[in-house]
Amino acid sequence: MNQSKASNGLFFTWLGLLSIAILIGLFAAFKLLTEGHHLFNANDVLIWSLPLGAYIYLALTSSGLTLLAAIPLVFGIKRYEPIAKRLIFLSIAALLGGFISIGLELGNVFHMVYIIFSPNLSSPIWWMGAIYGLELIVLIFKFQRIHAGDWTSTTSKTLGKISFLCALIAPLMIGSVFGLTESRVTYFGPVMSIYCLFMAILSGSALCLFYNLVHAQVTGNGISDEKDSLFRELTRIFTGALSAVIILTLIKFFIEGSTVIPEVLNYHKYAQAFGSVAGMNTEVILGLFLPFILISMPGLRYNQSTRIFTSALVLLGTLAMHMEILLAGQSRPVGPKAEQFPDVISYFPSIWEWIVFMLSIAVMLLLFSLGERFLKLESKPA
Amino acid sequence: MPRYAMVIDLQRCVGCSACSISCRSENNVPDGIYWSNKITETSGTFPNVRYHYIPTLCNHCENAPCVRGCPTGAMHKLENGITMHNPKKCIGCKYCEFNCPYGVIYFNWTYPHKSWKNNEKVLEGTASPKEEVAKVGGKTIPYYNPEREDTLAGIRPKGVVEKCTFCDHLVKRGKLPRCVDACPADARIFGDMNDPNSKVRQLLGKFRPFRLREQLGTDPHVYYIRDFNPANYQPSKGGF
Repeated sequence: MNQSKASNGLFFTWLGLLSIAILIGLFAAFKLLTEGHHLFNANDVLIWSLPLGAYIYLALTSSGLTLLAAIPLVFGIKRYEPIAKRLIFLSIAALLGGFISIGLELGNVFHMVYIIFSPNLSSPIWWMGAIYGLELIVLIFKFQRIHAGDWTSTTSKTLGKISFLCALIAPLMIGSVFGLTESRVTYFGPVMSIYCLFMAILSGSALCLFYNLVHAQVTGNGISDEKDSLFRELTRIFTGALSAVIILTLIKFFIEGSTVIPEVLNYHKYAQAFGSVAGMNTEVILGLFLPFILISMPGLRYNQSTRIFTSALVLLGTLAMHMEILLAGQSRPVGPKAEQFPDVISYFPSIWEWIVFMLSIAVMLLLFSLGERFLKLESKPA
Repeated sequence: MPRYAMVIDLQRCVGCSACSISCRSENNVPDGIYWSNKITETSGTFPNVRYHYIPTLCNHCENAPCVRGCPTGAMHKLENGITMHNPKKCIGCKYCEFNCPYGVIYFNWTYPHKSWKNNEKVLEGTASPKEEVAKVGGKTIPYYNPEREDTLAGIRPKGVVEKCTFCDHLVKRGKLPRCVDACPADARIFGDMNDPNSKVRQLLGKFRPFRLREQLGTDPHVYYIRDFNPANYQPSKGGF
């Protein structure tokens, strides 16, 4: 009884902290809507900053979670069913967090109605918005069906398939937003779409592993043999995604290192905002190489603490990598803007950008917490 | 249907910035935003040094990346080739600005012409900016040009982008863009590319033009001809 009271106390303290963060975030939203985006440390050269980086990160993570959820829900692998409902819910929460971030990044969010009434089908941003919008709606309906105990009806299965397709295509669209810009060759073309898809799988599998292992520790429920075997498989998926992103990162590194295209040479000079070790970006070393080495060691691979630590490193590392790519490509003025701005733009997020980031994360965590408490996220088909 | 283009004669251009100043007045352009701008470069080392000056504006590209990328069609092409923007449809995603290879699109990060809300007097006995605004009705700015409202918001609100429109509101009345009209050296020549007798077509046939970042395939409709270079040198074959 006492333990339950203490647990309730902790839960409500946690909710209180999240509510404070959300209230501060809402104040920032009001300030942005009334005063404008000069509150951000962005400008007409460095146009997209932390809130957009946070959106990319959360939206891709959401896609990764939905792709993992498709293993039981679309491909029928039954041993993954115990985590399916939770994955769908985490995906919804992460995507909502991402939408908050991009919503507050937009100069005029109230004009969003023209996305529907005046669509431009040649715009990768339109496709990105439309597919993520559809994905969110489908995921909510899918969750509602699962929550009502309907795992196998045609409607439920169709919703699962549509959400899977959306989660597969949406990261490609995020990549094309960057890869199709004529003015910025440094975003390295079509490879960017493939990179974003693998980053989605990586951050999705990292969050899945991190969340489930931490959840088991916090609740003190322990991990059953069935789940232990499942988490071992998830660890292998996570390691595979890490390997794929490492290969793509090395390809990018070697292309940048061997080309003589002036824009790419300039880009490479400033593409190490978080510092470097032996010429390689710090976030790549700490967020990709170190976790890969740790998770590849047979003695450590399935150790719970190692897996929590490595997945946490990857979650931080992928956010840093998205920010690095986003900022480095915008660090130098284009054309006549060099008359007004310095040769290289330095950037550190303003307090308002940090608050927008905090708001997105707080909303996501609040949903995680409420979902865990009230929505029986561990249920599986009868 | 005409297809408008501009030729800028770099031999005639003296870099006086009359184009930029007249553009600001005509289009009520706020501080920090430049529809008409320039690229300046210095090459060489003293005493063998040279200064380059290239006036810039929206290139009204045939294959405009800003138009292709705009999710709501707020940035769009008119039939006469002008790249136009509709702030009412703009969601402020800034993708056009991100996507423009020429750096000629700007975002309204805050309320435009904010300095005119200032209530402080620069000198005792003078009027504050706010009082000056009050004298002209309080809604705009003292030098506001209402003609701009014909085809676009007279002053664009915060949260949307803006850029040069080739003064489409003047062009549709058969007048020249303001920067062309204001150029004291006649360095800017405006006209219809589809008319074989237009001055722009004559000049493009007579001189070898270049365009900015042509290799991107955007097909810009601002052309540059000639160059001013008074330097001379003694004939030489070089050597060691």
